[in-house]
Amino acid sequence: MAFSRKSLGIPYAVFLVVFVAAPLLFLFYYAFTDGQGQFTMQNLLHFFTDPNTLGTLYYSFSIAIVTTVVCLLLAYPVAYILATSRLRQRSVILMLFVMPMWINFSLRITALKEILNVLEGNLAMYPFLNAVIGMTYDFLPFMILPLYTTISRLDGALREAAMDLGANDVQTFLRVTLPLSVPGIISGVSMVFLPAMTNYVVLDMLYNSTYIMGSLIGSYFAAYNWHGGSMISLILLAMICLFTLLSGSVEEEGSARGALL
Amino acid sequence: MMKKDAAGSRVLKYVTAGAAAGVLLFSSLVPRMIPQTWAPQPADRVKAPAKAGPGVLPVQAAGRSGDEPVVLRVANWEEYIDLGDWDEEETIELPSGDIIGENSMIEDFEIWYEETYGKKVRVEYSTFGTNEDLYNMLTLGDVYDLVCPSEYLIMKLMAEGETVPLSEQFFDTSDEYNYYSRGVSPFIRNMFETKEINGEPWARYAAGYMWGVTGLVYNPEMVTKEQASSWKILADPAFRRRVTIKDSVRESYFAAVAAIKSDMLTSEEFRSDPDYAQKLEEEMNDTSPEMIAQVEQWLKGVKDNVFSFETDAGKADMITGKVAVNYQWSGDGVYTMDQADEDDFTLAFAVPEESTDIYFDGWVMLKKGIGGDPDRQHAAEAFINFLSRPDNAIRNMYYIGYTSVLSGGDDPRLFEYAQYNYEAEDDEEETEDYDIGYFFEEPEEAGSGEYVICAPADQVDRQLSAAYPPEDVIDRSSIMVYFNDQQNADINRMWVNVRCYDIRRAPVWGWLLLGAVLIAAVWYLLKRKRIIRT
Repeated sequence: MAFSRKSLGIPYAVFLVVFVAAPLLFLFYYAFTDGQGQFTMQNLLHFFTDPNTLGTLYYSFSIAIVTTVVCLLLAYPVAYILATSRLRQRSVILMLFVMPMWINFSLRITALKEILNVLEGNLAMYPFLNAVIGMTYDFLPFMILPLYTTISRLDGALREAAMDLGANDVQTFLRVTLPLSVPGIISGVSMVFLPAMTNYVVLDMLYNSTYIMGSLIGSYFAAYNWHGGSMISLILLAMICLFTLLSGSVEEEGSARGALL
Repeated sequence: MMKKDAAGSRVLKYVTAGAAAGVLLFSSLVPRMIPQTWAPQPADRVKAPAKAGPGVLPVQAAGRSGDEPVVLRVANWEEYIDLGDWDEEETIELPSGDIIGENSMIEDFEIWYEETYGKKVRVEYSTFGTNEDLYNMLTLGDVYDLVCPSEYLIMKLMAEGETVPLSEQFFDTSDEYNYYSRGVSPFIRNMFETKEINGEPWARYAAGYMWGVTGLVYNPEMVTKEQASSWKILADPAFRRRVTIKDSVRESYFAAVAAIKSDMLTSEEFRSDPDYAQKLEEEMNDTSPEMIAQVEQWLKGVKDNVFSFETDAGKADMITGKVAVNYQWSGDGVYTMDQADEDDFTLAFAVPEESTDIYFDGWVMLKKGIGGDPDRQHAAEAFINFLSRPDNAIRNMYYIGYTSVLSGGDDPRLFEYAQYNYEAEDDEEETEDYDIGYFFEEPEEAGSGEYVICAPADQVDRQLSAAYPPEDVIDRSSIMVYFNDQQNADINRMWVNVRCYDIRRAPVWGWLLLGAVLIAAVWYLLKRKRIIRT
């Protein structure tokens, strides 16, 4: 076979099949079978009727929503200031914000633990707050970066036009800048929200002993209940797909696709 | 649009090409994977080995020539054997001679085996983190000759017929190299001979390694000994967010049962029952649905009260003073107190009055590994014996911090080591006599007074009491047996219930928040759609 550009894709395709497609098939198989290998919908039913799984879903959602909102509130002003400033070294400053991403996250959380310990006295008193702080600490750069990219690519002429037509600063921001930066917000939200639902290591390290989606799946597998665990993974996957589709449809409309990292 | 489609079909071709390659690769892996990982069915796993029986297994020794070393595959806990390389000043100076770990125990064994038996042996040493990990490794097809799980997994492996009985030769106390049979503590030997699985005593299959009890490490400045003497402290609001419990179903279950039945277990009537030991074991291994439901309630309360469910962080949190009480195995308790001592921070150890879980880790040989090969079995038994040689047992105890099951028999060094660690200095003002005869002497010699340590008074509540628990603690100890699949499923379910957020407890503001976000998202999407249409 003559060498063609197509063959360059083969390694990745093999990777995809062995590590993504095949495991997914296993996941499907386990999710819809019981211990005897018979087809069953019981696992699916169990997920939506058990107060524990629903409670975990609720708890994970709460942590993820609060984390995302906090990240957004912290990141937007920073990204806005950076993107609109005339500083020559703004890329250097941006780098300073993004740099923590290069440090292993369990190291960062260990450091955070000591800081919180000084601030709070007894860490275990505020499990929910700790989880939110830990996640925010961990995921903030993922919010800043897409916001910065989007805002810095906005055409300044649009803002000037709004001003010329009599809008004040607040009106310009609310009616021009903010709507135009929605694609950045959405890609930032999806990069924070989804990991925040499952990153249970943060909770473990900060003494929150309630399960979230990640640890719940882990506990099912640890107790040899592969079928229930697979079903929860599958449902989580379905939610991620739905979320990505919805946010994708919004992004396509906005032209700033570059907002994605 | 055209461009995008072209790209799409190109990707499709890559994937098809890759899929073909993937299928080839995969099909070569699958036959190996499927029988072991596909749909675990415990019932089958239990029966299959029993049907095969030892006679059917292939004898692998047949083809081995004289010089080829016997390969011994050993699996032990992480950090559970001396790796040697001690500093000169770490030398343990006992009246009967100095002990120092130069090489790792494994190397020393290989050399010793060749010198003693004239045959070469090579040890392939692996480690595991939990009993469940080891069991998973075995189920997934890893093969070991000799493993060192805890008592309940030993019971499970014995019940499943996976273990090879120790040879008669192993129990021959006239052989000077049978260090285990010659040196095992009479207390441990008695336990191994009386506890049975399927009508066979443990002693026939298992040789002990390290042992201890569960208890509470506490900070005497914040907690009185009285308070630390009940498992109920874990749920006591007076210590809200100041206690830690193990992130382990079994340990938590034990503490919960003891706390719930506290009044009954500590009553004079129950204590003086002629069948006390038997009844205690039944009570502590109660897995009735009512008990599981009560445990669930109790542990839910504990979850709101504890600092954390810890796997390893508890020791550090105790030493840094973050918590006041830490549920701990006695061996780790000794380690925690030693570490705290180095920082001039005093911690103590108490065993609750209700009951304590007596545990040990022991060596068992596995049929799948040994496979009827007498050379391999000989090497495995020699390995147990080598670890049981008094100086080696002391090296391991020093290195790990746990207490060996050996008393040394005729060899005085194990008791000398206890004295070396805990005997009071001559100028000590307050001392107390601490009798550990139950562990070191044969029952018929009981009360000889030969094995009494004159210890500093505070040691009675500290390291000494964790390393060698006093006899009254032993009297109220109970073994936690292995549970069958149904019991395990029930208890695991209970554990998930404890650890999950109960949706019925969700506060109103939470629902409002969730609703607001949902409405905002829907509203935004609808608005988008309308803009596009117009």
